[in-house]
Amino acid sequence: MSCDELREHYELYALGVAEEPERSEIHAHLERHCAACAGGVQQALVLAAALGASAPAAAPPARLRRRLLASAGVPERHYGWPLVWAAAALLCFSAAVYFSGRERQYAEESLHLRRQLGDQTTELRRLQEAFAILNAPGTTEVVFGQGQPAPPNGRVFVNPTRGVMMIASHLPPAPAGRIYEMWIIPKGGVPRPAGLFQSRSDDTAMHIEPGPVNVAATAAVAVTLENEAGAPQPTSQPLIVAAMPAPAR
Amino acid sequence: MLLILAIEAADDSGDVLRRMERRDGRALAQLYDRYGRMVYALILRIVRNQAAAEDLVQETFLRVWNRAQSFDASRGAVGPWLLTVARNRAIDYLRSQEGRDRKLAVFEENEDPRLYAGMEADIVFAEEARRVKQALAKLPENQRQVIELAYFDGLSQTEMAAKLGQPLGTVKTWVRSALAGLRKTMEAGVAE
Repeated sequence: MSCDELREHYELYALGVAEEPERSEIHAHLERHCAACAGGVQQALVLAAALGASAPAAAPPARLRRRLLASAGVPERHYGWPLVWAAAALLCFSAAVYFSGRERQYAEESLHLRRQLGDQTTELRRLQEAFAILNAPGTTEVVFGQGQPAPPNGRVFVNPTRGVMMIASHLPPAPAGRIYEMWIIPKGGVPRPAGLFQSRSDDTAMHIEPGPVNVAATAAVAVTLENEAGAPQPTSQPLIVAAMPAPAR
Repeated sequence: MLLILAIEAADDSGDVLRRMERRDGRALAQLYDRYGRMVYALILRIVRNQAAAEDLVQETFLRVWNRAQSFDASRGAVGPWLLTVARNRAIDYLRSQEGRDRKLAVFEENEDPRLYAGMEADIVFAEEARRVKQALAKLPENQRQVIELAYFDGLSQTEMAAKLGQPLGTVKTWVRSALAGLRKTMEAGVAE
């Protein structure tokens, strides 16, 4: 039979269901290396395999792989449950150590940030009070330390409703166990404590004592060095004295 | 399934076969990992028995393992060869179960590794499989039925005619028309 006559039977041959005499004829053509039939049969084999790939999907059981490899004498890597459990335990332990470390780090960072935020909030509140005193009507400004042989020097701002603010320079930090205390000294009266403060490392200080002040009855604002708990009355000579100006007539 | 086929076919199956020639057991494991699902699905579709399918999958891979030396890995696509071996094992089992003439020697003619020499790479085969599946779904019912009887049941046209109670000439016409349609699909793919 000719190749043309066999053409329609290539697929059946590829499927193994070609009938006689076509099957034997194709086989004979292939045995004598007939290029036309070899090409046709090969194309038919691809078609047949593609038909096989149209089967509904199905997953073989896992044991089948082990069975196959064992039957071929191929040793399969087998680590056993103890090693699996050990690996899992090690993984859990590592994760616990890692995450506890991270948690501690996050907690420390969180605390640090909260402190920073608290400090900044306090500073902001102080600045708001300072601006309020500076901008409020009726604030009296007093310069101190000018022309004196020894510093400190600076300014005191007194507002009848907002309070007193003192800004000083050349005021070194108080030594250990000691602190600066501000006083509002009324005319002919006893000095009233107006808060404790510490100067900064650059020898500057800003201290605010909020609250109403009778400016007309105030003779001066002063600062003394006291024990760290403060004192109800001055116990040392004042370092700063800002005398209030006489009221305008 | 075709997606799996496409993914698996993207690997170098030729290298796996070359290592199987050297009796590298890991290559057999790799070949199974790549084609195991596909082969199992095909065999299960044919024999419709899970235990038998597992036996036949094992038999298929062992056959390829033992015949890897005769397959020119550098020139052929292992996917079509493997599926042909798998189908032959399954059809032979089916025929023996049904008391039919097993015709194993006839079936094995299409397993000859020389027939697969020069076949295009598996990645191309994956694309062809996708097209054939679509074409098969579009065939008229009687044409699709005879193709499935030939492929999944291993029936000759005479056996199909007896099973369907149709004249042999009618069955031959259906088979001829169905194959012409599928062939046209394949040729259109080659021409693209």
